[in-house]
Amino acid sequence: MIRIERRLEQPRWLDVAVPLGSILVAFVVMTVVLLATGHAPGHTFWRLLVTGFGSMFALNSTLVSATPLIFMGLCAAVAFRMQLFNIGGEGQLYMGAILGAAAGIAFGNASSFLSVTAMIGAGIVGGAAFALIPGFLRAYLNTNEIITSLMLNYVAALVIDYLIFDSLSYWRDTSTPSAKVFPQGKILPDAATWPVLHVGALELPFGLVLGVAVAVFVWVLYSRTRFGFEVHVIGDSPRAANYAGMRTRRKILAVMALSGAIAGLGGASQDGDFRHTLDPRGLTAAGYGYAGIVIAALARYNPFSVCLIAFLLGGLQNAGYALQGADFPSGLVGVLQGLILFCVLGGELLLRYRFTIDRRSRRVEAAA
Amino acid sequence: MILASGINNSIVVVVLASAVVYGTPLLYAALGELLTERSGVLNLGVEGMMLVGAVLGFWAVQKTGSLPAAFAVAALSGAALGLLQAFLVVTLRANQIVSGLALTIFAGAAGLSSYLGNDLNVADQPARHQFSAFLPHGWQTAPFVGPILFDQSALVYISWLLVIAVALYLSRTRPGLNLRAVGEAPDAADAMGINVSAYRYVHTVIGGAFAGVGGAVFTLWITPQWVDGITGGAGWIAIALVIFAFWRPVLCLVGAYFFGAFSGIPFTFQARGILTGIPPELFQSLPYVMTIVVLVVVSTAGVRRRLGAPAALGRPYAREER
Amino acid sequence: MAAAVELRNITKRFPGVVANDGVDFEAAEGEVHALLGENGAGKSTLSNILTGLYHPDDGQILLYGERRVFGSPRDALDAGIGMVHQHFRLVPPFTVAENVILGDERGEGKRFLVHPRHIERRVAELGERYRIAVDPRARVWQLSLGEQQRVEILKALYREARILILDEPTAVLTPQEAGSLFETLRVMAHEGRTVIFISHKLNEVAAVSDRVTVLRGGKTVATLATRDTTARSLASLMVGREVAEVERTPREEWLGDVILEVSDVSALGDRGSPALRGVSLTLRSGEILGIAGVAGNGQRELAEVVTGMRPPTQGTVTIDGKRLRPGDARAAIRAHISHVPEDRLHTGVAPSLSIASNSVLKAYRSSRFAWGPLLRLRAIRAHASQLIRHYDVRGGAPELPARRLSGGNLQKIVLGREFDGQPRVLVVASPTRGLDVAAIETVHTQLRKAGSGGVGVLLISEDLDEILALSDRIAVMYEGEIVAELDAGAATLDEIGLLMAGGKADAEPAP
Repeated sequence: MIRIERRLEQPRWLDVAVPLGSILVAFVVMTVVLLATGHAPGHTFWRLLVTGFGSMFALNSTLVSATPLIFMGLCAAVAFRMQLFNIGGEGQLYMGAILGAAAGIAFGNASSFLSVTAMIGAGIVGGAAFALIPGFLRAYLNTNEIITSLMLNYVAALVIDYLIFDSLSYWRDTSTPSAKVFPQGKILPDAATWPVLHVGALELPFGLVLGVAVAVFVWVLYSRTRFGFEVHVIGDSPRAANYAGMRTRRKILAVMALSGAIAGLGGASQDGDFRHTLDPRGLTAAGYGYAGIVIAALARYNPFSVCLIAFLLGGLQNAGYALQGADFPSGLVGVLQGLILFCVLGGELLLRYRFTIDRRSRRVEAAA
Repeated sequence: MILASGINNSIVVVVLASAVVYGTPLLYAALGELLTERSGVLNLGVEGMMLVGAVLGFWAVQKTGSLPAAFAVAALSGAALGLLQAFLVVTLRANQIVSGLALTIFAGAAGLSSYLGNDLNVADQPARHQFSAFLPHGWQTAPFVGPILFDQSALVYISWLLVIAVALYLSRTRPGLNLRAVGEAPDAADAMGINVSAYRYVHTVIGGAFAGVGGAVFTLWITPQWVDGITGGAGWIAIALVIFAFWRPVLCLVGAYFFGAFSGIPFTFQARGILTGIPPELFQSLPYVMTIVVLVVVSTAGVRRRLGAPAALGRPYAREER
Repeated sequence: MAAAVELRNITKRFPGVVANDGVDFEAAEGEVHALLGENGAGKSTLSNILTGLYHPDDGQILLYGERRVFGSPRDALDAGIGMVHQHFRLVPPFTVAENVILGDERGEGKRFLVHPRHIERRVAELGERYRIAVDPRARVWQLSLGEQQRVEILKALYREARILILDEPTAVLTPQEAGSLFETLRVMAHEGRTVIFISHKLNEVAAVSDRVTVLRGGKTVATLATRDTTARSLASLMVGREVAEVERTPREEWLGDVILEVSDVSALGDRGSPALRGVSLTLRSGEILGIAGVAGNGQRELAEVVTGMRPPTQGTVTIDGKRLRPGDARAAIRAHISHVPEDRLHTGVAPSLSIASNSVLKAYRSSRFAWGPLLRLRAIRAHASQLIRHYDVRGGAPELPARRLSGGNLQKIVLGREFDGQPRVLVVASPTRGLDVAAIETVHTQLRKAGSGGVGVLLISEDLDEILALSDRIAVMYEGEIVAELDAGAATLDEIGLLMAGGKADAEPAP
C-alpha cells in the first residue's frame, strides 16, 4: 500500500530536479505520441533543437520568439502569485498593441526616442486599463476573474479584428488601392521602429531588454518591498491579510493593473520590435497569453526563471513555426507545452508530499 | 397555413429556434460540468475536451459513416481527458485551476485537437452524415413551436432527456445524495464511509464525456465541418453557465438557451439585413459580454448566491492531513 | 463484563511526532469509559484509528475478542463503531434526515431511490426514545451546536452502533446540556452499549464514567475505576507531576479609566443574519473582562467588530475617547488594539510564510521594519529571533514556515507579536484551545502581566474555568446580546452556565 504523507521540509535539490525531471518525462511521453502517430521522434526532436538553438540565426530568431513570452510569463506570474488568476493576458496584449500602434502612428514625425517612449507608455496604459475591468469586478463585485478576463480575450480579439478588417479606422492602411481591397494595418513610421542592441553577433530586440528589466523590477518588488509583502500575505491567506489591516481590494486592482501593463508592454513590443503594424491575424494566431501561463507555472512564479524558461520555450515555438509543413505535426507545440505542464503538476506533488510504501500492513495480514 | 409560416418566419421564432441550436453544445457541456463541480472538482478543461470531442467525433463519422458511432467516440474522447483531469486533480492533488488550464492548452486549438485534426486529415470537408431534424414535417411547421421545438435534431432531444436524468439523479437517488455530500462536506462523506475519490473520478469522467459530445454537436450538426478551434469559447461559457444556473440542471437548460440566443443573433440579423450598419464583431461579442454581465449579477446578489456552490469546490481532499 | 473493545500496543507516527506509542486500551460492554489526557496526549489519534480514519503503524484492534483491521471508515461503521467527532462531520445544507442516512448501506440503504418521509419517521422515533429530539426536516446549518451534536448521536444510533465514541462532546454545550447528555449516555450504557468518552476535563470524567484511562505523551499511564480517583490524582497522572488546582489568583485592585467603550453595536454574521444585537460594554485599563458563552453566540463577531475586521450595522466603538473607524482593521491597529484571534493558524498568521514575515504581519509598515517602500529584511529577521528567544518558542527558526510550529508555539509567536505592539487593548479569543498545560500556564501568565501593565484585556473563551481564573468581571453572551455582567469573585459556575443557556439569573446583575 502506498501512502502519501505531507512533507515537513522541502529539500532544495528537489526545486531543480522536479521541473527538469518533469520536462524529461514530458519528452518521453511526447516520444510515445509521435511514434503512435507515425512520426520519427529522434528526428523530430533533433530538428527542433537545431532550428531553435543551433546557429546564430536560430538564436536570434529564438530571442525574437522569447520576447513576448517573457512579457506574458511575467504578466501571469505577477498575478498568479496572489492567487489572482488573470487569464486575460492575451486580450491585454492586444489592447497594448492597439494603443501602442496608435502612439507610433501619431508620433510619426517626432524623434525616435519620443516615439518609442510614447509607444511604451501607450502599451502600458492599454494593457493596464483593460486588466482593470476584471480587476474591478473581482475587487468590488466579487466576480470570478478567471471567466471575466477570459471572456474579455475574445472581446479584445474581436476589437482588433474590427479595427483592421471591418472598418476604416485610424489603424487601417488606406493609402493604396490594393490596401483598400485587402485590409491591412498602416505600416508604422520609421521613428516607431524599436532599436536593436548588438552584442557580438547576437541581436537583442529592445523589447527583450525591457522584458528583462521588468523581470528585475518584479523581483525587487515582490521580494524586497512592502507591496510585495502584502501580495504574499494576501495570496497565502486572505483572512490573515484582512486581520492585518491590509487593503486587499486596492491590492487586487494594483496587481491586475501591473499584470495588464506588462502584457500591454508586450503588445507594444510586438508592434515596435517585430511587426511594425497592427497585425490581428498574427497576434491572435500566436497565443502568447496562454503560453505565458504555462511559463509562469513552470517557473513557479519566479521572474528570473520566467526569463529562462521563456527563452527555452521560445526556441521550441520558433522551431515549431519554422518547421511547420506537411511532414511536421502541427499543434505539436501546444501538445508539448501541455505535457510539460502536466508533468510539472505531477512533479509538484513530489515536492509537497512524500510517498512511503507500507510493507508492514502486508506482514500483519499474513500473521492474522 | 400562410399565417403559420408567417409566424414561423418572424424574427422572434427564428432567434428562439437558433437559441436552441446554439444552446445545445452549451447544455451538454454545462450538465457535465455541473456533475463534476457537484463532486467538488472545478474542471477548467471543458473547452479542450469539447474541441477533442469535436475533432474525433467528426473523424469517426467520416471513417464509419455512423452517427451513433461518432456520438460514442466523442463521448469517449471527452471521458479520456476527464480521466486525465481526475488523475491530476484527485490523485496528484494538483492545483485545479492550473491543471484545467493546462488541459485546455494541451487539448485545445494549437494543441491536441489541432494536431489530430491535421494529422487525421479531416479539414476542409463536409461531414459524411450529420444529425438533422427527423420529426414529421407537420410537426416541424406547427405555428411557433414547430421550428423551435420540433425542427431540431436528435442531439437536442437527447439533451433534454439528460437534463431530466441528471435532475432526478441528484434529488432522488442515493448515489446522487452521496455525490452532493462529497461536494459539500467531503470529510463528513468520508467519515460516513463514502469513497470521495471514486465519486470525484467518476463524475469528472462523466463531465468529460458530456463535454466531448457537446463539442461534437458543432461538427456533427451545427456547422457540420471541422475547423480548428470550432467551439469558439463555448466551453468557458458553459462554466459560467453552471454558476448562473446555481448548479441546478433545469436552470442549465434555461441558461444554455439564453446564451445560445446571443450566439445565434449575429447570423440571423446579418442574414436578414437587420442593423447592417452595426459591425458584425459587436454582435459576435455579445455572448462573451453577456457572460460577464450575468456573472457579475449572480456574484453580487448577496451571500445567498454563493451558498449555491458546493462548499468543497476546488479544494483537494486529504484524509490524513493533520 | 466482557471486553467490547481492546487496543493492544497501538503505535501511530506522524511527521515529527509519535502520537500513539504502544497504547493499550480496553473498554467493556455496558460501561462508560473515559479516555483522559491533556491536549496533544494522543486521544483523538487513538479514536481516529478506532474509527478507521487512520491506520496504525503497529498494534492490533480487537472487537469482542476478534481481530479486526479497518481499511476505511466504512469498515469501522460496519463493525458497529459510531463516533461523534469534536468537529462535526455533518453536511450543512442537508436535512437532519439526509445526514443520518448518509452512507448507510444496510437494508434501506441498498435501495437506489431515496424516500425521505420514511426516514424522517425513524429519526423522530429514535430522537424521542433517547430524549435527543431534533426536527428531521431541519437543515443542519440552521441548528445550534448542541442540536447538531444530537444529530451526530442519532447517526450512530440509527446504525445501531454497539460502540459509541464521543470526542470532547461538552465543548459546545452549556453545563445543563452537558448534564442532559450524560443522562443519555448512561441510558445507552445500561442497554449494553459501550461508550468511550474522550475528554480533558476532570469534573466530567468524574460525573459520567465508570472507568477512566489516562493518556500522557502518547502512552497509557493508568486505567482505574472512577470511584477510586480524585480530581487531584487524575490531574497529576495527566500531567506527570503534582498540579495545584486552578484557582483564582487575587489581583491588585488597580483599575484605570475606561479605555474601550462599545456602544449599542449590532452586526451581521457571515450568513447575513444578525450576530450582534445592541451590545454595549466598557473596559478599563488594567482590567480583564471575560466574555463567557457557548461558541456561536456572537463572541467572534464581537471580537471582529472591536478589532475592525467587521463593520457593524449600527453602534460605535470608542478607544481612549476617540471613535474608531468601523470595519477598518488598520485603524484599530493604529489605535493600539491588539488581537489574538480564535483561529490562530488561518487568521492569526499566513501559514506558508516564514515566522519572520509573520512576526511583522502588522508592523511591517513602521519605520522599524521598512525604509520607505523597501523592507528592512535583516531587522525583521532579528526581531523574529528575539521573539523566539524571549518566549521560548520551540521548533522554529525565523525562515521556517509558520505552519511548522505546534499549536502552543504558534500561539506564543502570535501573543508575542501582539504584545510587542504596546497595546492599549488586547482582544484574545480562545487563547488556550488545544494547548498543553505548560503552554496554557505561559499564556495565562502573559495575560495577567498585561493586565497588571495597564492593558485592557477582553478575554473571550468557552472555557469557564479559564474565565473564572483570570477575569475581574464577566459578561455572558447569549444569542448576540450581553445578558448579564457579573463580578468574577461572586460568580458561580452554575449561575454562568444558566445564563449561557439563556436562563435568567436570580440575583441582580452587578453594575
